[in-house]
Amino acid sequence: MSTDLNRRTEEVAPPAVARERAWGRLFSDHPLLVLGGVLVVLVLVTGAIEPDYLSLRGLRNTLLLAAPLGILAAGQTILMLTRGIDLSIAMVATASAYVAGNQSPNGAGVAIALALVVGSAAGALNGVGVGVFRVNPLIMTLAMAGILLGLFTQWAQTFLQGSTSVAPFIRTLGGGSFFGNRVPWNVLVWAGVAVVVIWGLRRTGLGRMLYAVGDNPEAARLAGVRSWQVLLAAYTLAGFFAALGGLLLAGQSGAVDLQLAQNFLLPSVAASVIGGTSIFGGVGTYSGTILGALILSVLNSMLTFLNAGQAVKQVVYGTIVLALAWLYAAVTRRE
Amino acid sequence: MGAVGQVVAGRLGGEWRRLVRRHGWTVGVWGLLVLLLLWYAALIPRFGPFAIASIAKNSLPTAYLAVSQAVVVIAGGIDLAVGSMMVLANCVSALLMEGQSFGTTVLIAVGVVAGATLLNALVGWVIVTSRIPDIIVTLATLFVFGGAALMVLPSPGGGTSGGLRFVFTGSTSGVGSNYWPSLVALAVPLAVLAAWLGRTRTGLSLYAAGSDPNAAYLSGLNTRRAKVLAYAIGGAFAALAGLAVTAITATGDPKFANAANGTLNSVAAVVLGGVALTGGVGSVIGAVAAGVVLFILKPILTAMAIDPNTAQVIQGLLIIGVMMVAGLLELRRRRAG
Repeated sequence: MSTDLNRRTEEVAPPAVARERAWGRLFSDHPLLVLGGVLVVLVLVTGAIEPDYLSLRGLRNTLLLAAPLGILAAGQTILMLTRGIDLSIAMVATASAYVAGNQSPNGAGVAIALALVVGSAAGALNGVGVGVFRVNPLIMTLAMAGILLGLFTQWAQTFLQGSTSVAPFIRTLGGGSFFGNRVPWNVLVWAGVAVVVIWGLRRTGLGRMLYAVGDNPEAARLAGVRSWQVLLAAYTLAGFFAALGGLLLAGQSGAVDLQLAQNFLLPSVAASVIGGTSIFGGVGTYSGTILGALILSVLNSMLTFLNAGQAVKQVVYGTIVLALAWLYAAVTRRE
Repeated sequence: MGAVGQVVAGRLGGEWRRLVRRHGWTVGVWGLLVLLLLWYAALIPRFGPFAIASIAKNSLPTAYLAVSQAVVVIAGGIDLAVGSMMVLANCVSALLMEGQSFGTTVLIAVGVVAGATLLNALVGWVIVTSRIPDIIVTLATLFVFGGAALMVLPSPGGGTSGGLRFVFTGSTSGVGSNYWPSLVALAVPLAVLAAWLGRTRTGLSLYAAGSDPNAAYLSGLNTRRAKVLAYAIGGAFAALAGLAVTAITATGDPKFANAANGTLNSVAAVVLGGVALTGGVGSVIGAVAAGVVLFILKPILTAMAIDPNTAQVIQGLLIIGVMMVAGLLELRRRRAG
């Protein structure tokens, strides 16, 4: 009876309602359009607050901030696809930055390589815990963050004491820009990561298996996927991206300290979620995460221009993240 | 006669096995706590009422947060904002209570608990209405409450009355050898909550909603209400943690690291305490013991002259170790079954 009624209203729906429904379907099929719209509105609002912002130089600052966030969020997105999460990325990033600082006298190449190896190793340990021993990812990565914090707090006072600055090449990569000081170098790194991740998730076997393991672990297992290997690879990749993000952050700030990446943990999760990656696994794309990272960075610039204090900034930031997640959920929900 | 004895023994054996399966983990955690306490007693030169009082009062915030997290997790959620709710309650209460009489501070304390309950009920309502995952909503409120605490009290300050300090610490100056008030302050709310969760219809509905929300909904349970209720209770206990901090330190401190640490410890305590993060399994009694276990590691390692940073590493390794063993046992049981 009720379905009958529904059908009838659909048949005689006035053009306005029909148009609305078509829009609704367009948005729910292509939620990235909505995110792009939000991004444009935010950029324009920020431009209205500070007209200087709508120049290439103003946008440069946002991109400078967005690149490390986007790279950290790449790891987070990959893990969320497998129903995981990494709460240790901020500490892994900081740890890798310390390694790079320690090895910088031996040349930028060695420093970068060792930092990436250490980051991947920490990620692999997470992967062993989650994939082989079935420890809950939340607990595993929280504990890993605690262990790294304890180790590096100690080491920062002993043999890593002089390792607080990184090689000039890393500094240029993280904070410098080219094309008449308009485009930051770190955006190039981010673009490389984006191409690899988007292509990898779509076209490679590992990419498909990440979705499969997250969508239905039992079905994936019955189909012959060795999920522990997939998880190990995913967590190692997340560690690698965390190290890369840490390197860029160290280059940007010019100095390494224990709080280096602290403020990027929650935004990395938020960027993935705003971008439509489901924390329950199997759903999400990296293009969404890129938009999420850009939105959060523009938001950060806006709050800075508004001269908001740390307290107000935190409240507004949290509220907007919540509102955006709600918007995304409402737009993509099918009745 | 022999046969009857065998049947009785068999039934007792079954009963016993059921008890072990249901409460084994909780008993194990309490056993671990007792062992650690004994170890601590053997480690320090003078183990007396003063040492007990120190542990009893200083473990209160961790213990309350463990309960707060446990209730929410049992109902199928997770509240990453418990730490910042504690900090917010700490800052609001310290600001309002400075220079007030005992009676006024008690009224303020009741008001803070009621406010936190309502605020977290609102968080629960947002979660069930928006259908955004709990972890995302509470990640956002972790920020919001932390920022609100900074707005209320931009720098450490405030105070409280001696009477309120006595309620939580057993001494009007916050330092003493009387440990009974701290124990009562934890045991009474805990006993009430545990009895309510295990014995009443509404309390059990939290378990039902957490273990299988669809089945619970189809059997006529109001799962939305159960979840909102769980968040409300969680808010009340987080506020108690904040009040305990106010009573112990006599100041409010809006530092965000306190909030983050509080949340981390609460999640670790819940998992160590045998509450499954998937919901519907575990007890608040186990979570409390795990919370105190996590707390007591610090004084033990300090007594062994171990650097606090190494202590943090050991704590992390211990948590991973316990979870790995639990994971392996679970795997073996599933293979055997």
